[in-house]
Amino acid sequence: MAGLSEKPQALGIDQESAEANKNSSSNKKSVHNRLLEKDKEEGGQGGDMSPSAGSSIKRSGSRPQLDVSKAEIQGNVEEKYPTILLPNQSDDLSHLALDIGGSLIKLVYFSRHEDQSTDDKRKRSVKERLGLSNGNRRSFPILGGRLHFVKFETRKINECLDFINSKQLHRGGAESPYADGATDGNAIIKATGGGAYKYTDLFKERLGVSLDKEDEMDCLVAGANFLLKAIRHEAFTHMEGQKEFVQIDPNDLFPYLLVNIGSGVSMIKVDGDGKFERVSGTNVGGGTYWGLGRLLTKCKSFDELLELSQKGDNRTIDMLVGDIYGGLDYSKIGLSASTIASSFGKTISEKKELEDYRPEDISLSLLRMISYNIGQISYLNALRFGLKRIFFGGFFIRGHAYTMDTISFAVQFWSKGEAQAMFLRHEGFLGALGAFMSYEKHGLDDLMVHQLVERFPMGAPYTGGKIHGPPLGDLNEKISWMEKFLRKGTEITAPVPMTPAAGTTGLGGFDVPLSRGSSLRSDASALNVGVLHLVPTLDVFPLLEDPKTYEPNTIDLADPSELEYWFTILSEHLPDLVDKAVASEGRTDDAKRRGDAFARAFSAHLARLMEEPAAYGKLGLANLLEMREECLREFQFVDAYRSIKQRENEASLAVLPDLLMEIDSMDEETRLLTLIEGVLAANIFDWGSRACVDLYHKGTIIEIYRMSRNKMQRPWRVDDFDLFKERMLGTGDKKKPPHKRALLFVDNSGADIVLGMLPLARELLRRGTEVVLVANSLPALNDVTAMELPDIVAEAAKHCDTLRRAAEAGGLLVDAMINSSRSSKGKSSSVPLMVVENGCGSPCIDLRQVSSELAAAAKDADLIILEGMGRALHTNLNARFKCDALKLAMVKNQRLAEKLLKGNIYDCICKYEPAS
Amino acid sequence: MDPRRAETGKNSDQIQSGHVYHLALDIGGSLAKLVYFTKNDEHIVGSEKKKSPVKASGISNSSRNSPVLNGRLNFKKFETSKINDCLEFINSMKLHLGGCQQPESPGSQTITIKATGGGAYKYADLFKEKFGISLDKEDEMDCLVAGANFLLETIHQEAFTYMGNQKQFVWIDKNDLYPYLLVNIGSGVGMIKVEGDGKFERVSGTSIGGGTFWGLGKLLTKCKSFDELLDLSYRGNNRAVDMLVGDIYGGMDYSKIGLSSTTIASSFGRAISENKERDDYKPEDIARSLLRMISNNIGQISYLTALRFGLKRIFFGGFFIRRHPFTMDTLSVAVNFWSKGEAKAMFLQHEGFLGAVGAFMSSDKHGLKELLANQKVERPPSKLSFSLDQTQVPQQDGELNGDESIECSVYGA
Repeated sequence: MAGLSEKPQALGIDQESAEANKNSSSNKKSVHNRLLEKDKEEGGQGGDMSPSAGSSIKRSGSRPQLDVSKAEIQGNVEEKYPTILLPNQSDDLSHLALDIGGSLIKLVYFSRHEDQSTDDKRKRSVKERLGLSNGNRRSFPILGGRLHFVKFETRKINECLDFINSKQLHRGGAESPYADGATDGNAIIKATGGGAYKYTDLFKERLGVSLDKEDEMDCLVAGANFLLKAIRHEAFTHMEGQKEFVQIDPNDLFPYLLVNIGSGVSMIKVDGDGKFERVSGTNVGGGTYWGLGRLLTKCKSFDELLELSQKGDNRTIDMLVGDIYGGLDYSKIGLSASTIASSFGKTISEKKELEDYRPEDISLSLLRMISYNIGQISYLNALRFGLKRIFFGGFFIRGHAYTMDTISFAVQFWSKGEAQAMFLRHEGFLGALGAFMSYEKHGLDDLMVHQLVERFPMGAPYTGGKIHGPPLGDLNEKISWMEKFLRKGTEITAPVPMTPAAGTTGLGGFDVPLSRGSSLRSDASALNVGVLHLVPTLDVFPLLEDPKTYEPNTIDLADPSELEYWFTILSEHLPDLVDKAVASEGRTDDAKRRGDAFARAFSAHLARLMEEPAAYGKLGLANLLEMREECLREFQFVDAYRSIKQRENEASLAVLPDLLMEIDSMDEETRLLTLIEGVLAANIFDWGSRACVDLYHKGTIIEIYRMSRNKMQRPWRVDDFDLFKERMLGTGDKKKPPHKRALLFVDNSGADIVLGMLPLARELLRRGTEVVLVANSLPALNDVTAMELPDIVAEAAKHCDTLRRAAEAGGLLVDAMINSSRSSKGKSSSVPLMVVENGCGSPCIDLRQVSSELAAAAKDADLIILEGMGRALHTNLNARFKCDALKLAMVKNQRLAEKLLKGNIYDCICKYEPAS
Repeated sequence: MDPRRAETGKNSDQIQSGHVYHLALDIGGSLAKLVYFTKNDEHIVGSEKKKSPVKASGISNSSRNSPVLNGRLNFKKFETSKINDCLEFINSMKLHLGGCQQPESPGSQTITIKATGGGAYKYADLFKEKFGISLDKEDEMDCLVAGANFLLETIHQEAFTYMGNQKQFVWIDKNDLYPYLLVNIGSGVGMIKVEGDGKFERVSGTSIGGGTFWGLGKLLTKCKSFDELLDLSYRGNNRAVDMLVGDIYGGMDYSKIGLSSTTIASSFGRAISENKERDDYKPEDIARSLLRMISNNIGQISYLTALRFGLKRIFFGGFFIRRHPFTMDTLSVAVNFWSKGEAKAMFLQHEGFLGAVGAFMSSDKHGLKELLANQKVERPPSKLSFSLDQTQVPQQDGELNGDESIECSVYGA
């Protein structure tokens, strides 16, 4: 039944239990765009059905619907749709909450997508195999979707109203079939901030909605609590221009001090959800800065004033310790000559008028006075109440690097280095998010860190974390927008150089902080806020030894030279990638146009990140590589390497029988070595590696494969083969039982999977080990995907009985499915070969966020084999597991080989780590 | 004669050479403070309060052999920017003939004066060059604390509270004085934890102090002097400039968090939203708002600091206060507000001169402290040990060259 297979309408509908859904199939009329009403109506019956039968998939009515929607939200098709600014996407339900402040309006809205994924039999069979058939290993109170963050200037409130209207956010999303229906005029939107009162009538008039006002401080705290618990690297420190993200254990968050710097400053002690108290504050805040600044300079806006401070030198205004002590430090009490003794104190003794001072200097002096003071009072309060951490937020900060530095400095200075000021990436959205959470059913309650993925849409590098423009429509509009940027020549290609500010000294020898390099653009330091994808099906990989300390990335991109290197690599690879992408869509004009737009968008992302590496949060190589894939999908390149993958698979499959014959002729020990050599040799076929792409022009697959294998000279750069062999074959009489189940994280299509990993899998199967091939959910470069694997296995199975029986047992042979399931009892001699998706669409893998399918498969696994650069080198090289782990890769990058292994390109890694 | 001196010297023209026995200086960023001793017999006339000149005769059992001199301890201020006036003044006292370090060698051109404050370093050469006076630098904080300890221990009505126009002297048992927090509000603000004589530590401070008030005030108004600005603030109304809680919540209290509608939410916050220029605001209102902002802030940080170190009392001193009632009131209100009534701000009668008194005390030869301590024991506590001569110091205008003096006695050097 079409309806049944779809996601329920309301979000956060915890009452949407499977039970509720079962009897709700006929309940299509439920007015999901009148969500609140429905929520008030109360629970059990809320499960109204998805409207769009067209895209829905057949699924047996008895199958609880949550299952599918969950599986597909992170699934294949959804991701190719651009995330934000698309009114035409199939959001079927939204929540909207507002924080209307004096200068900015912040919107937080939630959208959920149609389930458009096809249900393939592989998945079904896997689910059955892994005991996932009902998909409800735990009951999900939430459904997948996206949380969007958008800002508008309050004085342009009409733009905001247009935006809401064009997306029909107040009615539950544009494409909703009910959106066109007359709203009953009772729609309610949660709102906070002073403007919630001021603009009540306007909202009523323009959108016909009522604003339901929520207490500001309640919202603030609720928003901060959510962000700090749900987003892994939400908090960061900011010292001398350097941002460093801090991972906070959600169980060790409270109590903390939240300092909200608006016009005035509130200091709130937060003890838990809904448990907080305003313990202090100061009237010297953002309003003081801007108010005094306006009186003292000719600045027309807060931002202008802030910008001015960037070029200021406070020594002309402030009286420094050195001014009093004739240039000497007052070292007895630890005050350096450059410490500010008295803000504005220098203006006392000079016979100058206001006009004789530079506005830049005045602005800087003011900024330092106020930031410093806030930092000091905050620290004293944290100390007083024994609070572990101090988080600063509010419009005064606005991602302004110097403000953050000054506050950080004050906290460090007064605490003698024992406390650190922290800031929030989503600062500015705390109130709006809190208002969102005040909906009775918002669905964010039980969300866990690993279920959120943040993505940065095409526009991110252009908006620079600032205010969004008018909504863009479809992909075509987006491309036009990109093209317009090019025409105008306003594309951001590199940080705009600015004259470095003259070295201002100040409090405690604190100089004007410079960003990495020599210049700091104030707007560049603002951080972007992406779209939060809520993916309830993601899980932490259960075999990680310690998920808390796990860090996927091997290379630290905080090192500027490293960052630059990878940016260069990616930039250089870009034209080739665009060519592949365009070719994959038949080189149509449309594809070319999209290809250009993709190149531009991705270059802009890179430029933005070069300018501010922390712009999108904590940056690792894995994130960069994934961003490239996401960006391709955003421009609807579903699979750039499709034809190449196909060709290579075919070529490899053609030579597989010969290879298997060769292998079978060997004794056990030689065979194992040859198989491992084969995996390493076949890993040379990698379109992600520039060096290897060059190789392809020189020979056929089997030639390269053989050459590569013959060059395998042991010992390899990292060579634990003997240890692995001992585990597999034992020594002398001592034989260990085979592994029960092995998870093989596979890498590339073609020779890599066919000639490398499949033969290894076959060997394991022969030894009685269940094999689960773990592959990408979405395409990334020429990596093989979970969708493609069953076909490859089926083809290979034609040449090999072992594979065939195992594949049948694992339900992979589609045609034989019915047959096999009927007769599986009789043929139970074989252990199964299965395929699961890993939940990601990147060449790397972050094991904190894998598909629930993989997490389930890991339950009985006692061997993990990670293969390839992306999964075994760039990420996870240092990961520790609860079970035996083998990491196999060929290093196809000279720099990486030198850096990680002190070796050379084409060196191999065979790292075996037995379970501790 | 310098005409300027003739004018400012109105109060000091009685000072005769040879009568000044001792002098110490505190040269701060904005003001230079002088403390000097003059002998009684030839002292200034016309002080009605001088009813009970201190008799030194009762201290005959003193270990010292020096003669005891009755006289007055005088206090005087100059703007640091007019340091030359100060130099002239000192020169006019003919210190080399008076009670300074080398009275027995008047021919020598090196006269040494105890001095503290940053200016003691900055202007050392100037003093040397102009009049051959060399400044013997004493540590600023040592002096400050020594001065405060001395005043609090020995002068009966030194400390007082000031709330709602009510000045109330507080008698402090000198055995229960320590530890206390001394907040010295000069150009900047130093916060010192004092645990006894010579036992203290600068634990905190803020750069938002008197210099900020006067500096910002000067830029924002046309005021020509600190006192003019202070005077203005007395007549102003900060509501015109500050954003109050009521402004945000439509005239209502934000009672949920205990803020009344008249609480300042954001100093100068109202200047944001209005399309007014600087000249559209009354200087009085600006001065008032500034004063409240700064006083409030100092009061808050002081209280938090006292709390942190478990200190019983907070004494505010320094030239910023200047016995200006509104300043004291704001500081008191801030301490009262943040401590929820549990702490009180206290002030010193001789605020502004702590450093100079300390520097004065740093030369032990006059044994002032011992003497005074003894005296205090001998005199009934109901009577003033020292009479304060404030006739020339109007409460509010704090005219810069206004003197005040304390009657006292010292041992002749």
